[in-house]
Amino acid sequence: MRESDVLHKNPHVSRSALEAIHGQVFGWALSRSDYDPVVAEDLVQQAYVELLTGKARFDNKSSLKTFVFSIVQNLARSRYRRIASRLRLLHAAGTVAIDDAVQLIEPNENAAVWKAVQELPQRQRDIVELVFCRDMTIEAAAGVMGVTVGTGRAHYDRAKKTLKKKLSNIGAGFDD
Amino acid sequence: MTDSDTALRVALRDAQASVEKGDMPEFDGIWAAANARTRTLRRRRRVVAGSVAAAAVAAIAFGLLVPREVELQFVDEDELLGTTSWSAPSDGLLPEHQFDIYQEIPVLIESTETYGGALL
Repeated sequence: MRESDVLHKNPHVSRSALEAIHGQVFGWALSRSDYDPVVAEDLVQQAYVELLTGKARFDNKSSLKTFVFSIVQNLARSRYRRIASRLRLLHAAGTVAIDDAVQLIEPNENAAVWKAVQELPQRQRDIVELVFCRDMTIEAAAGVMGVTVGTGRAHYDRAKKTLKKKLSNIGAGFDD
Repeated sequence: MTDSDTALRVALRDAQASVEKGDMPEFDGIWAAANARTRTLRRRRRVVAGSVAAAAVAAIAFGLLVPREVELQFVDEDELLGTTSWSAPSDGLLPEHQFDIYQEIPVLIESTETYGGALL
């Protein structure tokens, strides 16, 4: 970590360390924003703001990647909570139908693997993505998701079992 | 990790990569924007803090500088005495509050006759 690189309000974080994980953070933000690149960019930028202002303070208790992923996860959650409450208000006022307002982008519908992943319950989908696609341990992934390691492990096992069952038809080597 | 886990990992990574393909925004651009946003936030926070401090100073100065008119109040002795009342501590033993135990004054019949040297 270069001395000049270190964030003033976050002495354990450096610009270069953030740059090194930028791609992965953006990927995670994409997945948190229903693959909307504009929203994902905003989430990443807001996460960096949290680090720059010291509102999110990294104290080396986990890896930097786990920490930044957690920030993105929390920001996405509060963002969608706000949107959901606004939509509920609009719906109650009768000005817009929720189905019209939410435009879900279904990424790569034809990919059987992706479809199988999307069909998993939210928590299982998250842990599968974090462990298999983002190179995290189950412990770190549970930390990002805000659940205990035991719960994370249970979601992971269930997801793996379901996926193997579903994907056994399309590829060899998924059966134990 | 078993072979099937490895195969699953590869399949998922490929699927994920196909979804995430596209232009990833440059780190430098996002970092510069985050820095600008941080500066704006700090400036806004400073303005708000300055306004609050100025308002507090103004309120304190107003409180200190504006003379307060003190209205003196005197207690009227007669009024004070007129509003006082007294009740005996044993009033609680009476069947009614402030019950007049002497409903009527008893009449004592005095005898002047004696029997065996004592008054009857």
